[in-house]
Parts: sequence; structure tokens; C-alpha cells
Amino acid sequence: MSLFHRLRHTDFWTRVTGLIVAVLALLLLFPILRVLMLGFVDADTGAFTFGNFVEVFTRNYYLNGFKNSLFVGVLGTLGACLIGIPLAFFTARFHVQGQAWISTLAILVLVAPPFIGAYAWIMMLGSNGFMTNFFGLFGIETPTIYGAHGIILVFTLKFFPFIYLMTQTSLNGMNKSFEDAAENLGCTPWQRFTKITLPLVFPAVSTGAIICFVLAIADFGTPAILGRGFRTLSTIAFSAYRSELGGRPTMAVTVSIVMMAISMLALLAQRRILSKRRYASALTNPPVKQRMTGWRNTVMHVFCHGIVLIAMLPTLVVVYTSFLKTNGPVFIGGYGLESYERILRTAPEAISNSFVFSLGAVVLITVFSGLISYVIVRRETAAAGAIDFLMMVPYLVPGVVMAIGFVTTFRGGPLDVVGTAGLLILLYFIRRLPYGVRSATSSLRQIKPSMEEAAVNLGAAPAKAFLVVTVPLILPGLIVGALMSFITAINELSGTLILYDGGTITMPVQIYLAVLDGEFGLAGALSTVLLVCTGACVYAVFRFAENRDSAFL
Amino acid sequence: MASVEITGLRKLYGDVVALSDITLTIPSGAFYTLLGPSGCGKTTLLRTIAGFHAQTSGQIAVDGAPIETLPAHKRDVAMVFQDYAVFPHLSVHDNVAFGLKQRKVDKSAIKTGVAEVLDVVQLSHLADRMPHELSGGQQQRVGLARAIVVRPKVLLMDEPLSNLDAKLRVDLRAELRRIQRDLGITTVYVTHDQEEALAMSDIVCVMHGGIIQQAAAPLDIYLRPANRFVATFVGANNFLDVDRTSGGAVLRSGGADVAARISAEGPVTCAIRPEDIHAHPPGTAIDPGRIVLAATMREISFLGREMEIFAVTEAGEEIKAVARPDPAIVALPPKSPVTFTVDPDALSFFARGGNGDRLP
Repeated sequence: MSLFHRLRHTDFWTRVTGLIVAVLALLLLFPILRVLMLGFVDADTGAFTFGNFVEVFTRNYYLNGFKNSLFVGVLGTLGACLIGIPLAFFTARFHVQGQAWISTLAILVLVAPPFIGAYAWIMMLGSNGFMTNFFGLFGIETPTIYGAHGIILVFTLKFFPFIYLMTQTSLNGMNKSFEDAAENLGCTPWQRFTKITLPLVFPAVSTGAIICFVLAIADFGTPAILGRGFRTLSTIAFSAYRSELGGRPTMAVTVSIVMMAISMLALLAQRRILSKRRYASALTNPPVKQRMTGWRNTVMHVFCHGIVLIAMLPTLVVVYTSFLKTNGPVFIGGYGLESYERILRTAPEAISNSFVFSLGAVVLITVFSGLISYVIVRRETAAAGAIDFLMMVPYLVPGVVMAIGFVTTFRGGPLDVVGTAGLLILLYFIRRLPYGVRSATSSLRQIKPSMEEAAVNLGAAPAKAFLVVTVPLILPGLIVGALMSFITAINELSGTLILYDGGTITMPVQIYLAVLDGEFGLAGALSTVLLVCTGACVYAVFRFAENRDSAFL
Repeated sequence: MASVEITGLRKLYGDVVALSDITLTIPSGAFYTLLGPSGCGKTTLLRTIAGFHAQTSGQIAVDGAPIETLPAHKRDVAMVFQDYAVFPHLSVHDNVAFGLKQRKVDKSAIKTGVAEVLDVVQLSHLADRMPHELSGGQQQRVGLARAIVVRPKVLLMDEPLSNLDAKLRVDLRAELRRIQRDLGITTVYVTHDQEEALAMSDIVCVMHGGIIQQAAAPLDIYLRPANRFVATFVGANNFLDVDRTSGGAVLRSGGADVAARISAEGPVTCAIRPEDIHAHPPGTAIDPGRIVLAATMREISFLGREMEIFAVTEAGEEIKAVARPDPAIVALPPKSPVTFTVDPDALSFFARGGNGDRLP
């Protein structure tokens, strides 16, 4: 039987599965494998070698980066836990005024462009920051924001929402009888918290912590802006890539592999620990919120609102500076819209590019997440399982790695597409696809398979049944997925930084460059535009998502 | 209107046999019920006919034409689902029109077809409603209307009443049967509810372990179960062992000679329906033609319309009898002696052990 003949006789979903596998192989597996292989290649001769890894683990330059990454990753995660867990506990177990406000702010912090935090802190506590100057008037020396502690501060305030939202969801879903039983058996409230509540929310906390850790390790913008000589693996990888430009980016890749290995190991360790702790529980006795009184109540409210306000501070500062009067890069006192005029004058294409690329990627993501979710949820084939597993990969692979993979795969030959809009759209597509797939998948899992069976049974071909029955039923999930992937795509920095050229600059890249040049007005205005887009999407997610908080995790 | 012939149908999941060599014939217009406990393969068989599962081997023919390799959407066998599967984003009218649209029926014909069938299921007044505004019973009527409007060759129903409450179930049961009869549509009906099966069907096919145990008219299934599984699954049964003596055979409990009734060799068990066992208060005269079983009372459950008596015979065999409540018996304390009698004609015999076959 000829291939063509066979294709005609395979059913629709088998062909779709084939298409998905092909796309994932070309855009995900192949580039990543190319990158991984580069790590084992000698930069000059192209011969196979372990030398790159030997270099990473023997030269102090790399070893320090390795230690630094772990240091800020672990401490940043710890910091996020230290404020995220109490915040979750207070809001889940006690009456806190303005609860919706707190969770909205936490979500806004979560989706704000990752590097905004870093440079806003520079404006506050940097060498010429307004807080530094303000306290300087009274002769008080503020601690500098540059270096490891600055990065840890930014990570803590940026990533705590993961811990907070996950722990809160878990606490809200916990059967109150467990805590009642502990109390009944003679536990003090503190013992009850440490011996019962905390262990029961451990799976949620550790999942949140792993997300923080992986993101912190891969984060490029924050150490790049705040590092000042404190180098992490992600900044080392990027500068290695820059210096190897034109040649084989072997060291950039080797460093990235080490980064990925750290994330992967952390994830595996967490899975292993969790596999022994599965707590099934029916929500027969939902938790009840208590009222705290007196000074404790005041302290709790100050803590909860203080945390989210401090975390929002960078965003507010950014918006504020965008309205300051400037002359070129210099703030000249008073307020004005010069920064916005400058965007239109110097970088209008950054805005349009960001929208075009992100929207292009979102269209692809939406189409594919619909199809992929169907294959994952409804088809019990080996390919479906593999696709489900592959959807984890983009979370773990840093943008730098994905982009280098794209460069090595798609550069040269008759079709040199590096720097083109198309390649950036494909990069956003493959990196943000899991957000769409996750949302569509959870939506589809709530639709009974008998729906499609009924449609097919009544004479609709599988493709038609999918279009006229499945798609309308999972539409809310598809919309939420599209919005989430849009938010994350329009804020993409590290991969774009490697793939863009003059004509395909985007808002995050422009902001990054402006910050490096000390053009805080321009950066503020662009960031504000980005924030408004993101905020609008968040609002839309709130409207469409059934569970508004967990949609962002 | 079409007959269905299934020949040598097998379905394996890995090593697990879901359907083992199913061969059956469904006459045109019949109401054919697949009855069995969960996991017996009845739903798998129905879904294989619908084309949702591919069979491992075997043939399915409708009116002589093989359909087992056709994709599900081309089989023209409409299904009514256990969970209704009414499309939640379409109105009642559009749900019913769905199959007609797939068949490219023109608009005016769709309109009259839908109106007609909504009238049959008595939902005309709800045509513009959305499914979430309907009760479970109404949704299942939509499910039925949607299936019959396309005039399928075969109608498949997968436990369509099991999600409804008891009263509605009985009402809708009669209605389903009436509509099926009026349309004369060949129907394959899956249920685990024996009462439903006996009340509705032309033919009941009892399944167990992926194997057809017996396919026959409801009365035959009840009166002449083919083996011990059918005898226990459809209605209840007492099994009392028969002891072979030199040249004869007697009931172990009660000692009645049943040799004349047994033609086969080998160990034999006797089955007696609980309602065929009469309990006698102490001191009643007993008809000498009846077999007597002396026993000790264990427990009596008074259920209103009837009473259930659990007892143990002198040979240590358990007996359950069902009878109209008798104050003299309900008042008996546990452990008191009780006399049971059985009409010898009410006995049936099975090969002893496992799923023994009925002896002629």
C-alpha cells in the first residue's frame, strides 16, 4: 500500500497525532537535541569531547556562576516560601479584609514582566535611586540593591505568588476534620499547624517552590540588570553566546545544560518525595474562617497588605517614572508625556512587533492546544502519552537554550530565517504552548466523552464532531489558555534577545536595552504599555476562568 | 427495521478477554436486551456495535451487510447514552436536528422531522429550551428523540434509565417500550436491572465474563435458566445438594427421592425459587404430595408486601423463602423450628459446582 493510500485510510485523529508529533519533533525535540549535542563538541575542531563540561566544573568563572545560581535560586525560593505560606495561611483560615484585592495584586505581580522588578528596584535603591537619595539627605546609607541580596529580594517578591496561590488552594481544599481531630487529641494551635496543617499542604508548597526554583535558575533579566559582577549561569550563558557569536556556541550551551540539569534534578527530587505523600481527602467538612481580634488582627492585616504592596511597588514605580518629564535619558523634574512620545518616535515597531508576534503565536497555540488536548485526554495511545510528557519540556528549558537551538537548527542553508518574524512567532509558539494545552486539557477533562460519541454516532465525521461539539464546549478553556499564552508571550525576553535583529525588536528587548542605557523614562513608558496589555488580559481571564486564581499557575 | 447478526465477535484488552466469541441474531423489530452485572461485557458489546471500540475479530452485519469495519459515523446505528449526552450548547430543537443536519436533510424536512419526533416524546413545548433548563427525564427524552429522528437501522440504548429516580424510571420504561413498538425499530438495550430487562424485552441475553449465558424470551429465562449463573442472577434461587445413593438420588436436606427427575450422571444440585418454598406455622396440616424440609429459623425480615425467611436445614444448608406475611410466622423467635414444603414440580436441576448447566 502506498503511503498516500495509507494516509487516506487512517482516521482523522491518527493524522492529527502525526501532525502534532511532527511539529513537536521539528520545533521542540530537534532544536533541543541539537543544543544538547553542541555541549559535547569542541568549539574549534567540532570533534566529540567532554572538555566543555570539564571546563565548567573546574574553572572558577563557571563554578562561581554555578554556586551563585544555586545560591540565589535556593534563597529566593526560601524567601518566597517565608512570605507566601503565612500569607496563604492567614487568608485561608482567617477573615482578612480585602481578600480579593490581595489575590488580584498577587496575580498582577505574577504576570508582570519579570525584569520590571529588577530595574524598578534600581530606581529606588540603586546608586542614584530616589530612596537612596532621600535617605542620603538625612545621612542614612541605604544598602545597595546590586549583587546577590538584591537578586534574592527581587526573586522573593516576584515568585511568592506561586507559593501563596498554591498553598491557599490546598488549604481551602483541606478537610477541616483533620485539624479538628488534632485539636480533639490535645494539640495546641501551633502544634496543630506544624504537625497537621503544614504536612498536609506540603505537596502544594513544594510544587510552588519547585516552580519558583526553576524560574529563578532560568531567570536572565534580574541577574543581568542587578548582577554587577555577580554572575549566574543564565547571564554567563548569554555572554558566552555573545562572545561565541559566529562560531559554535559550545560554552553557552554547556552552561545551559548545567542549568537545565539543576532544574530537572530539583523536579525529580520533588516528584520522588511527593510520590510517598499522596493525601486523598473528601471535602466533606470544608474549612471555616476564624476572626482574629486585637493586636494580632492588626499585625496580620499589616503583614498581608504590606507584602502585596511591597511586591507591587516596582510596578507602581515604573508607571510613575513613565510620566516624569524627561529630556533624553535625564529626568528634569515635573511630569509629562515625553517618554511616551519617545516610544512613538524611536521604537514604534517594538510595540507593533510585540503584538504581531504574540498574536501570531497565540493563534497557533490556540489551534494546537485544542487538538493536542483532545489527543491527550481522549486517545489512549503511546503517542498521546509522549505528547503529554513533552508538554512539560518547555517549562524546563530556559529561553536561551530554546533560542540557541532555533539558531543552530534554522541558520544557514537556503532558508536562513534567524531574526525573522516567523521564527520568533514559532519560538513563542513552542515556548508558550503548554499554557494553552494545560488550560484546554483541564477544560476537556470536564466534558464527558459521550458528547463526541453522540455527535459521531449521529453521523458527524470525527473532525466535524470536534469542531461543532468539542470546540464550543471547551471554548472558555481555549480562551483562558490563549490569554495566558499571550501574557507570557508578550513578556518573553531571553529567547528574543538571541533571535531578534533590528527589524524584529520587541517591547521587552527594547525595555532591556533602555535599562542598560539608563533610559528609565523610555523603559518605564514601554513597561507601562506592557503592563496595561497584561492587566487587560488578566481581567479577561478573571471573566472567563472558572477558578480565577488557579488559572495562573 | 433491520436484523442484526453478530458472528464470532471477540474483543481483547491486552490479555483481558472483554468479549469471547459472541454470536447472536437479533430479528428485525425486536427489543433485544443485554443483561448482566457490571464488567460482563454488555456495554463493550453495545459500543462495539456502535463502532466506538474496534473488535479484535468477528463480524457484525445489519440486514446482511457487514458494518464492523465502517467508521462510527457511517454506521447508521443511533445510540441513547446513559448520561444523556445532550449537547449543552444547543437547544432541544438543535439537539434533535443534529443528526439530520449531518445527513444533509433540507431545512423544511428537518423542521417537520424534529416537530414530529418531539411530539412523540412529548417535548414539543420545550423545543427552544436549553438542556440545563430540563430535568433528567426530559433530557433523556431529548436523547431518545435525537436518536430516533434519523430513522436509524438499529437503536442502541446504554442503560438509558439508570440515572433517573425510581418512579420516573418505571414510567419512562413503559414509554420507551411503546415508542419502540410503534416505530418497529430494532433495539439493542443494555441494563443491569433484571426487572427492567424482563419487563421490556422480546429477548433477554444474559451475559457474564464476556460470554453469552443464555438468550431467550423473558419467561424462558426465568422459568428455565440455562445454568446456575442465570438462575441466580435473574431472580433469586436456593441451591440444595442432591446425594446419590445406590441406585437413587435424594435431597440432602429433607431426604426426598428425586432420582426419577435426574437423567444425567455426576454430581447434581437442585434449585428452588424462594417464592416456591412455603413456610408452615407449627401444627399445620401438610399436603403429603409436597417435599418437606425441616429447618431452624435464623431471621425474618418483614418488608410489608412480603416477608423473607432465612433458615438453615438440618443438613446445614441455607434456605431463603419469600411469602406473603403470616403473623404466626413473623412472631416466631429465632432458632425456633420451622417446616418448609415445596411442590416437586418446582424443582430444577443443575450440574453441581461452578456455573453448572441446567439438566434436562
